[in-house]
Amino acid sequence: MMNITPLVIYAAAMVAYGWHFTERNPMVGRTATTLLIFAALAHTFVIGMLTMDVGHVPVAGATSAISTFVWLLALAYLYIELTTDERAMGVFILPLLVSLQAIPALRPGVEDLAPVLQGPLFGVHVSSLLFAYASFALACVIGVTYVLLFKEIKAKHLGFFYARLPSLQVLDRMNHVAIVVGWVFLTIGIIVGAIWAAQAQGGYAGDPRVQAMSLKDPKIIVALVCWLVYSFELFAARRIGWGGRRAAYLSTLGFVIVLLNFVPISYFFTQSHNF
Amino acid sequence: MKLVVVGISHRTAPVELRERVDFNVRGVREALVALAERGSTREAVIVSTCNRAEIYAACDDAKRTRDDVARFISDFNEVPPAEVAPHVQELVDLDAARHLFRVAGGLDSLVVGEPQILGQVKEAHTAAAEAQTVGPMLNRLFHSCFAVGKRVRTETGLGSGAVSVSYAAVALARKIFGDLRGRNVVVIGAGEMGKLTALHMKTQGVHKMTIVSRTMAHAAQTAEAIGGASAAPWDELDAVLGAGDIVITATGASAAILTKAHVEAIMRPRRNRPLFIIDIALPRDVEPAAGEIEQVFLYNIDDLQATVRENLARRASEVARAETIVAEEVDKFAAWLRSRGAIPTVVALRQRFEAIRRAELERLDFKLATLPPEARMRVDEITHLIIEKLLLTPTEQLKAIGDAETVGAYTEALTRLFGLTDDAAAAAPRAPATGAAQQDAKVEPFNRNRPRSGR
Repeated sequence: MMNITPLVIYAAAMVAYGWHFTERNPMVGRTATTLLIFAALAHTFVIGMLTMDVGHVPVAGATSAISTFVWLLALAYLYIELTTDERAMGVFILPLLVSLQAIPALRPGVEDLAPVLQGPLFGVHVSSLLFAYASFALACVIGVTYVLLFKEIKAKHLGFFYARLPSLQVLDRMNHVAIVVGWVFLTIGIIVGAIWAAQAQGGYAGDPRVQAMSLKDPKIIVALVCWLVYSFELFAARRIGWGGRRAAYLSTLGFVIVLLNFVPISYFFTQSHNF
Repeated sequence: MKLVVVGISHRTAPVELRERVDFNVRGVREALVALAERGSTREAVIVSTCNRAEIYAACDDAKRTRDDVARFISDFNEVPPAEVAPHVQELVDLDAARHLFRVAGGLDSLVVGEPQILGQVKEAHTAAAEAQTVGPMLNRLFHSCFAVGKRVRTETGLGSGAVSVSYAAVALARKIFGDLRGRNVVVIGAGEMGKLTALHMKTQGVHKMTIVSRTMAHAAQTAEAIGGASAAPWDELDAVLGAGDIVITATGASAAILTKAHVEAIMRPRRNRPLFIIDIALPRDVEPAAGEIEQVFLYNIDDLQATVRENLARRASEVARAETIVAEEVDKFAAWLRSRGAIPTVVALRQRFEAIRRAELERLDFKLATLPPEARMRVDEITHLIIEKLLLTPTEQLKAIGDAETVGAYTEALTRLFGLTDDAAAAAPRAPATGAAQQDAKVEPFNRNRPRSGR
C-alpha cells in the first residue's frame, strides 16, 4: 500500500513533464522537477520504512526490487537533470517510472527473510545489478531520443525534437557514459552473484533455489546475454567506431532484455531467483 | 505625469527616411542632452536602430511634448519637418507602454521575434541613464519591458529557430556537435560566399579553419582575409576533409566535386565521426546521394532556406502567446501608474511638514543661539528624524494602494486634513526639464523606497 503515494506523485510529475515538453513553459518545468523531487522523497521514506522493518534494503523479492529500481532510476535521472539543466529527457523517463512503480503499488509482495538470502554478498549482488539496470534504462531513453533527433536532422525536417533536445554529440556522449557505468555494475553484480552462489551451495545446498542456480536458469542466462550485448556495444564503440545510431539501437535492445528479465522472467519463469 | 512615444519605424516610414533619421550618426547622448535643453520633457530615452528611431518621454503636457519632440526629431537630424511629419507615430500613456513592450518582445520587428532588439532597447536605457535623462517613470517602464522581452523569449517559441540561412547553418551545426569551439571547419572554394559563411562560423567560436581552393594563391588570400585560417592546396583535399567536422562547399564548379563514393572513402577512416556538409554552391558541389551515408549530414542552400521558412511560419503561430504576455505586463504597469496618483500628495505632505519644521526652528532660533553648535545640529537632526518617522507609514500605505478610486479618496482626505491644496499644485513644478528629472527623483518617495519593498 505504501508504494501508492510515490506512484501518485510520479504520475503527477509525468503529466507536468509532458506538458512542459510540448509547451516549454519554464514554470511548468520547475513544477515538474519539484514534483519529481517530492516523489523521490516520498519514495525514499517508503524504502527507509521497509528497510527498518526488515532490517536490510528491500531488494529481495521481485516486487520490492522493482520499487528500489524505480527509486534509483528517479535519483539518477534527477542527478542528471540538476547537473545538466536539461529537462527534455524527463518526458521519456517518467512513463517508465510510473509503469514500473505500478507493479509494487498494486501488487505488494511479501518480503522474504530466508536466512540464505542474508549477508553482505547478496546485498552487493542485488544492489549493483539494480544500479546497472537503472543506468541501462537511462542509456535506452537517451538512445531513443538520439534516434528521434537523428531522423529529424537527416530528413531535413527540423521540428518538434529539434527544438527540444540537446545536440547529437551530447546525447551520444551521455549514452556512452551510462553504458560504461551500467556495464561496470553489471559485471560486479554477476561476479559477486557467482561467488555468493558458490558459497551458498556449500551452506544451504538443500534450498531449491540454490539447486537451480546454474546456467540453465532463464534469469541467469538472460543476464549473461545482457552482459554480452553491452560488452559488444562497448567493444564496437572502441574498436570499430560504432557510435551514434548503432549504439542507440543496441542500448534499446539491451534494455528490452533487461526489462524482460526484470518483470516476466522474475515472476513466472525463474527457479533460482524466485524470491 | 504623462508618458509619450514619438518616432518613426519600419512600419511607418520608408527606408530612405529611416536612413536619414538616425540618432546614432551624431550620437544618442548628444541627442538626449539637446532634447533635455528644450525643456519639453522631464525624462527621455532614445531608441535608435536601423529599423526605428523612437523617443520615449515622460512629461506634464502630452500635446505640447508630442509636437516639440516631433520637431526635435527633424531638427536634430536636419531633415525638413514636412518630410518627417507624415511618418511620425505618436502614442500616449498605456498605448505608449504597450508599444515599447511589443518592441522589446520582438513583436514589432521586421523579422518577428528577432533577438537583437531587446539588447538595443537595453543599450538605449543605459545611454539615457548615463546622460541622466531617466527618472522613476521611464526606469519603471523600461524595466517592465525587459521583463516582457525575457518572458517572451523563455515562455514562447517566438524567438526560437533561425530565420536566416547562415544562422540556420550554425544552429544545425550546434545540434549535431554541441559546442562549436574546437571544431574543425573546412571551406572549399575561395569565393565571396564561402568567405562570408566562414566569417560567420568564426564569430560563433570556431578557431580551426582551413580553406581549400584549386588555386593555392586564392586560398591563401581568403585565409588571410578571414584571419586565423590556414590554406591548403587542392591535392590535400582528402586529408583536410578527413580531419574536418564541418565542410562548407562554395565553388563555381559546374559539376559535383564530391561524389557519394568520394565521401564514403573519406568517412571510412573517420570511424563514423559525424560530418556536416553545407553545400551553398549553385550548381551543387556535392552529390545529393552523399547525404544517405550514415553520420553524413548534407544540407544545400534550398534545404537551409526551407528550414528558415518553417521557422518563420512557427514564429507566426507564437505571436498570440507573446501578445498575451504584453497585455499582462501592460496591466501591471497600469496598476503601478495608478498607484502613482498619490505622489503629488505625498510630496506636498512632506513639504508641508518640512516647512513647519523650518518655521519652528527659525522661530526658536534666538533661544537655540545660546547652545553650542553640536547641540544645535542635534536639534536639527532630531526634528528631521521625527518627521521622517511620522511620514513613513502613511507613505508606504499610499504606495500599496492599487486602484485609482481609493487613491483618489485618500489624497482627497489628506489634502483636506492638512490643507495641502496650494502645496500640491506647487509640488508638480512645470520648471525647465534639465533639473526637473533629478529633482523629481529626489522627492520621489516610491523610488526611494523601491529596494525595501520585497513584496
